[in-house]
Amino acid sequence: MAAASSSSASPKTTMERRGIPGAQFVEDVETYLSQTGLDVNSALAFLQERLQQYKLVEMKLLAQQRDLQAKIPDIEKCLDVVATLQAKKGTGEALIADFEVSEGIYSRARIEDNDSVCLWLGANVMLEYSCEEATSLLKKNLENAKASLEVLIADLQFLRDQVTITQVTIARVYNWDVHQRRIHQTSASTAAKDS
Amino acid sequence: MQQGTGGSDTEVTWEDQQNINKFGRLNNRFHELEDEIKIAKETNDNLEDASNELILTDEEVVRFQMGEVFAHVPKEEVETRIEEMKEVTSKNLEKLEEEKESVLAQMAELKKILYGKFKDSINLEED
Repeated sequence: MAAASSSSASPKTTMERRGIPGAQFVEDVETYLSQTGLDVNSALAFLQERLQQYKLVEMKLLAQQRDLQAKIPDIEKCLDVVATLQAKKGTGEALIADFEVSEGIYSRARIEDNDSVCLWLGANVMLEYSCEEATSLLKKNLENAKASLEVLIADLQFLRDQVTITQVTIARVYNWDVHQRRIHQTSASTAAKDS
Repeated sequence: MQQGTGGSDTEVTWEDQQNINKFGRLNNRFHELEDEIKIAKETNDNLEDASNELILTDEEVVRFQMGEVFAHVPKEEVETRIEEMKEVTSKNLEKLEEEKESVLAQMAELKKILYGKFKDSINLEED
């Protein structure tokens, strides 16, 4: 996974990160336009399109981030329940719990001393584990989720930087164009005055 | 937030671009922190209310929510648990507030630098 930090890379190289193209930093607008061979309008159109693509990817990443951020407290709650069951194991008394049968309807359950728990793994699959195995599996899942979230956040930061660079480039190209037109206008009017 | 750069004279160097990028990142983090702080404050208030209710109740066994079920837990244990949860949330809240201060300070620094170079050509305020 290419993840060069943007502060150490030279401004000329366009690095990409996990499929997100990097935005090229423009040192000088005129050189940029002659290098790419585009006129102002095509350059602006290209940059705008890039901006739209970035926005799309941003939506996707934000949705993934929301999912992960919901999953993490879920896993923590499961760990808590397994820990409580383990604690009860020593005492020999049963755990009584009220659970929801349907909306607004609750029933009482008596959970006897036991050594194993069943974990829902998704895709209609539920496996039975011993309490220790369950704890370690849940802990591993929690760590994976947290690590994925970190990577995702770094991706989003990279993406937002590229969006900012593109927005600044659009503004500069546009201003350069306005500046050029003004120069041409003044030189054209002086030429008209002279002739 | 506006980050427009107008003006035809000032050149934007790579360092300027990086400062602008950093400001953008900090601003995003600032908004995220504000949301997180709001949630942490709410959780804190809820725990406060819960422990108050606990003092008022005369039942010996309290239904304590764990995951999706309400387990029957003796009152003392519930008190201890709620105290622990309150500890965790207040520490978290403190950490978030500190981070928010640091982010605001960094943003103020960057504003000085960027306004210094670009003056009116750049807008770093919330719209």
